[in-house]
Amino acid sequence: MESSPERLFVLLVYKIPREPTASRAQVWRKLKKLGALLLHDAVWVLPATPWTREQFQWLTVEIGELGGEAHLWESRLLLNGQEEILVRQFQARVDASYQEILADLEQETPDLLALSRKYQQIRAQDYFHSDVGQEVRRRLMRARGGETV
Amino acid sequence: MKWVTWEQVGVDRMACAWLITKYLDPQAEFLFVPVGSAPLPEGAEPFDLPGARLSHHRGHCTFYTMLREYDLHDPILQHIARIIDEADTVQEVLLEPAAAGLDLICRGLRQISQNDLMALERGRLIYDALYAQLQAEAASAGKEERE
Repeated sequence: MESSPERLFVLLVYKIPREPTASRAQVWRKLKKLGALLLHDAVWVLPATPWTREQFQWLTVEIGELGGEAHLWESRLLLNGQEEILVRQFQARVDASYQEILADLEQETPDLLALSRKYQQIRAQDYFHSDVGQEVRRRLMRARGGETV
Repeated sequence: MKWVTWEQVGVDRMACAWLITKYLDPQAEFLFVPVGSAPLPEGAEPFDLPGARLSHHRGHCTFYTMLREYDLHDPILQHIARIIDEADTVQEVLLEPAAAGLDLICRGLRQISQNDLMALERGRLIYDALYAQLQAEAASAGKEERE
């Protein structure tokens, strides 16, 4: 796990018309796909990286095009310990998904193609480089009979 | 003509610059401003900046927007647009395994280039290569269909 006292987060707050529901769902699915956390049913959070900044920026534009309003901030937590809790929340979520792969690998004939795809999807949201993710990678390679590098 | 974008170019803007020089404006001059900066230089066409005409729209990348804005219907260019959409935006359907690799290579290309202009120039080779290969694959697929 990485730790940095000056960790920045990008925050997105938005409002979008109730109809059409397809637009609402589209934005929501993109936020989920980015691995953003929803805090208090109000603010979507991601660790700030050039990639997440850019993705939130385009999402902000897209929400505007869909008739909504969005505000995008970059900020850091001021109270001691809160950052760690937030990072743990991000990690807990990807770890739970990684654990599903580990469980599936225990089956007699696991679908390695499907599991490695799932691994790639989770890894795209693994902003804090989970140890469980490393373990999944090792196990997938071993399952394929490859070298454990 | 002058074209302006933010610094730190990546997969989408390298493709846009390639498209501009090859199809729209062979004498194109590219200017770069710091990320988030405004105002922009006068008389330069902005691209890949939030809110610009030539930018992301409806979840598509700027390259895709440029094909639409300039009525470029070449299926190979449209294939490239799909790859860049998957490389540069959040997509639910992933059909192009090349997308992630192309993104990585373009980021690396910026890393090893002294400045953005150099990165755009080097990026041209990548998109020439991508176009040529997609064209070759499309031609051989067409041939198989005819046989």
